[in-house]
Amino acid sequence: MADQLTMAQPPASAGGPLHPEIASMTEPVVELANVWKVFGRQAPETIEAAQSGGITKPEALERFGTVIGVRDASFSVARGEIFCIMGLSGSGKSTLVRHVNRLIEPSAGTIKVLGRDVGALSDRDLREMRSRHIGMVFQHMALMPHRSVRDNVAYPLEVRGVPKSKRWAVSDHTLGLVNLDGYEDRLPKELSGGMQQRVGIARALASDPEILLMDEPFSALDPLIRLQLQDQFKALVDELQKTTLFITHDLDEAIRIGDRIAIMKDGVIVQIGTPEQIVTNPADDYVREFVQGISRLKLVRAHTIMEPLANYSGPPLNGAPRADGEADLDTLIDLSVAADAPVVITEQGTEVGIVTKSTLLRGIQGGKG
Amino acid sequence: MNIQDPTPVRTVAAVADIEVDRAELDASIAQFVERNPDYYANAFHRIHDTTSGIPKTFNWAAAVFGPLWAAARGVWGFFWFFLILEIIAWVQIGRGTWGQLGADELARAAQQEARAQQFLERAEQARAAGEDPTRFETLGNNLMRAAESSRETAEAAAAGAFGILLAGLAFLVIIKLIQGVWGNIAYEKQYSRWRINPDAVVSGVQPRNLIFGLVMALAIAPLTVYRFTIEDVWPALTAFPADPDHYSGTARWLEAQIDAAARNGAGAFDSIVFGVRTVLDTISLALVATPWPVVMTVICVVAWRSAGPRVAIFTAAALAYIAMMGYWEIAMETVALVGAAVVICVILGIPLGIWFGKSERAYKFAEPVLDLMQTLPAFVYLIPIIAFFGTGNPPGILATIIFGMPPLIRLTALGIRGVPESIKEAATAFGASRWNVLYDVELPLARPSIMTGVNQTILMCLSMVVIISLIGGGGLGKVILEALQFAAKGPGLLGGLAILLCAMVIDRIVQGAFRRADHK
Repeated sequence: MADQLTMAQPPASAGGPLHPEIASMTEPVVELANVWKVFGRQAPETIEAAQSGGITKPEALERFGTVIGVRDASFSVARGEIFCIMGLSGSGKSTLVRHVNRLIEPSAGTIKVLGRDVGALSDRDLREMRSRHIGMVFQHMALMPHRSVRDNVAYPLEVRGVPKSKRWAVSDHTLGLVNLDGYEDRLPKELSGGMQQRVGIARALASDPEILLMDEPFSALDPLIRLQLQDQFKALVDELQKTTLFITHDLDEAIRIGDRIAIMKDGVIVQIGTPEQIVTNPADDYVREFVQGISRLKLVRAHTIMEPLANYSGPPLNGAPRADGEADLDTLIDLSVAADAPVVITEQGTEVGIVTKSTLLRGIQGGKG
Repeated sequence: MNIQDPTPVRTVAAVADIEVDRAELDASIAQFVERNPDYYANAFHRIHDTTSGIPKTFNWAAAVFGPLWAAARGVWGFFWFFLILEIIAWVQIGRGTWGQLGADELARAAQQEARAQQFLERAEQARAAGEDPTRFETLGNNLMRAAESSRETAEAAAAGAFGILLAGLAFLVIIKLIQGVWGNIAYEKQYSRWRINPDAVVSGVQPRNLIFGLVMALAIAPLTVYRFTIEDVWPALTAFPADPDHYSGTARWLEAQIDAAARNGAGAFDSIVFGVRTVLDTISLALVATPWPVVMTVICVVAWRSAGPRVAIFTAAALAYIAMMGYWEIAMETVALVGAAVVICVILGIPLGIWFGKSERAYKFAEPVLDLMQTLPAFVYLIPIIAFFGTGNPPGILATIIFGMPPLIRLTALGIRGVPESIKEAATAFGASRWNVLYDVELPLARPSIMTGVNQTILMCLSMVVIISLIGGGGLGKVILEALQFAAKGPGLLGGLAILLCAMVIDRIVQGAFRRADHK
C-alpha cells in the first residue's frame, strides 16, 4: 500500500530514552502562560479591558477595532506527549500553535520551549531553534514546488548549513521512515495528496526535532488515507518520542491521536483533559455537543462507571468475571456477555467496584445515568 | 465526526408546493422604496411573476417626469440615458418651433440678389455708354435665377419645420412610453442590488438626489437646446475663452525650471550618462569589434541551443540578409543599444519589483509613476531628456529604459506577490531567514512572471529603436529616420526589414530560452 507510514527504524540519532514513560511526562517541553493574541492597533487596550471587565470578541471589534485571536491561553506539554488542540475554524487554534515557533508574536504572555523563553530569543537563536528543535507540518503541505522531494525534506538542514552529502543522506533516511523510498528525485506535484503530506512529515522530522507542530495535517486528505495516516503517525511519534502539538477540527481525530486534548472556542481554551475526561465529563454545553456522537467503547474505563461494592446487593460474586479498572467498555461488554454475574473491578488485586449489566448499558449511553 | 454548528430542523417541501412569501418581500420592498410601497410592491411582483418577455407594468411617474423621477429614485443610469434622449427630442421640437430653418439659404439668396442687381446696373450703364450689355445681363439674370432657387430651398426648409416638430414630438412620446415601461424594470434591478448591498445602493426618494438631477438637467438641457436651435449663438459657448498669457507664462516658467535643474544637476546627469555609456561601450565592443564570423556563429549557436534548429536556420537567414545589405555594423549597434537598455532595466527593475511586491505602500506610490512611464508618449519625454542628458546614444538608452522598464517592475512585483503565503511560512518555520525566503522561495516561484517581464521589456525596448534616433541615437533607427527625411522608399523598406528581423531573432531566442527553462 502506497500511503503508509512505517516506523521500521527510528533515526539512529534519535536517542530517545529507553523507557519514555518513566523518564518523561514530568518535564514540560512546551509551556504557554497567559498568552494573548489580539490583532489590531489597540491590542494593549483590548487586553486590559478584557482582563478587567471581560469583553467578548464582537465587543472588542466594535470598541477597539481589534480581533481577539487567542485569549489567555495557558498549558504545558510534557516530553513525548501528543497534545491535541481542537476547535472549529476561526477558534484560534492555528494562531495559538504559531506562537510556539514565534511565527506569530504574542500580544501578551510568555512561551517557553525546552526551557527557553521564545520571545526573548534573538533572530539568530530563533532561526536555530526553528530549524533544529521544531518541525512543522501544514494543512496544505506547503512544499516548494520547484524542489525535488529530497531537497524539500532537506530544507531545514540546508538552512542550517549542513553539507549537501549529509543532508541528502538524512533526507533519504527520513523519506524511508514515511515509506517514500524511490520518490526522492520526483517533484512534489508528481505525488498524490497523501504522499505529499508524508513528504511534509518527513521534512518536519528531517532535523530530528524534539517538537512537532501539526497544523491540521490530515484534514485535506480523503477519509481512508486520513485514518491510515492518523494511526501510522501516532505509532511513529510514539516510537520516536516526539512532543507533538496537533491541531485538528475533528474530535475523532483528536481522540484517536491525542494523549490530551484542549478544546478551543473563540480563542479561549474551554477544557483540557484526556480523551476520556473530555467525553465523560465535558466542561460545558459547547463541549458536550461535540462529544455527543463519539463512541465511548474504547474511551471510557471501568473505574469511571463502576459502582462501589457496598451498594451491591445481589447473588454472591464468587464465579463473577474480573476486570482491571483500566479495562474499557468494549472489554467489559465481552466479559458481561459471557457470564450472568456482574463484573468485579479490581485494582492491583483488590476488589474496588462492580459493574452490573445496567451500569454497563448506562455507561455506554453516557451522560444520562 | 466533524463538528458542526447545530442547524434548526426544517421540513422539506416539494418544489411545486413552495409558496411565495409575499409578506416578507413586501416589507423589504416597502423599506426600499419608502414612498408608494403598495404600488411598487405590486409592480415588482408583476416583474417577478413574468415568465417571458417584457413585464406588463407602466410607471406614470417615470413616463411623465422621466429623468427627474429617476434622479429622485437614484436610478442614475436611467437618468443619464433618458436625459440625453429627451434633450435630442427637445432640440428637434425647438428647431421645429422657433428655429430659423433655411436662414443660411435666405442670406445667400439676399447676397445673390444684391450681386445680380449690381450686374444689371452695370448692364444699364453699358447700354447708356453704347457698349454691349449682354455679358452683364446674362450674369445678372443667372444670379437672379440662383437667388430664386436659394429662396425656394429656404422656403422648403421653413415648410419642413412642421415636419421636424412632429418628428420631435413623436420621438418624445416614444421615449416617454419607453420610460414608463422601463421605469419599474430598472427600479426592480436597483432593488435587487440594494438587497445585496444596502449601504452602497440608493433607496427611497432622496430630495438631495432630486435636486442634483434637477441642477444637472437645468445646466445641460437649456444650453444644448439653445446651441442647436438658434443660429447666432453667444460665441463664448462654442469656444472656451482661454487666455493665451496663461499658456505662455507657464511654459516660460517650466522652461526656466528645467534649465535650472539641468545646470544644477549637471554633475549627476553626466555621471548617469557615463554609466550608461560604459555599459553600451562594453556591449558594442563585444558585438562590433569581434570579427563578424565569430559573432554570427555565436548567435546562430545560441539560437540553436535555446530554441532549436528551425529558429537557428531562420537566424542564419536573417543575419545573412543584414550582412549582405551592408547593415551588419549598424545592426550590431542597434542590438547593443537595446541590450544596454535591457541590462540596465533588469539591474534596476528586478530589485524595484521585489520591493514593490513586498511593500504595499511603496507599490501604491510607484503605480501612478509606472502608469505615467508607460502611457506618456515617448516624444514628450524626449525633450527633457535632451535638456538633462544631451543627445546621442546614452540619452536614447535612457528614453528606452523609461518606456521599457515598467512591465518588468510590474511583473516582478506581481510574481512576488503571487507566491503562496503558506510556502513562505513553511520556509520561515524551518528556520529560513528573510534572505533565505527570498532566494529559496520567492524568486524561484516568481521566476516565470519575472521572465515574462524580461521578455516584455526586450520587445518594448526594441520598439524604441526608431524613436531614439530623433535625439541622435544611432543604429538602424537612424537609417529609417534618414529615409523618412528624404522620402526614400527603398532604403526605408530595407532598413525596416532589418529592424524586424533583429526583433524577431531576439524574441525567438529569448522565448525559446525561457520555454526551455520552464520545462525543467
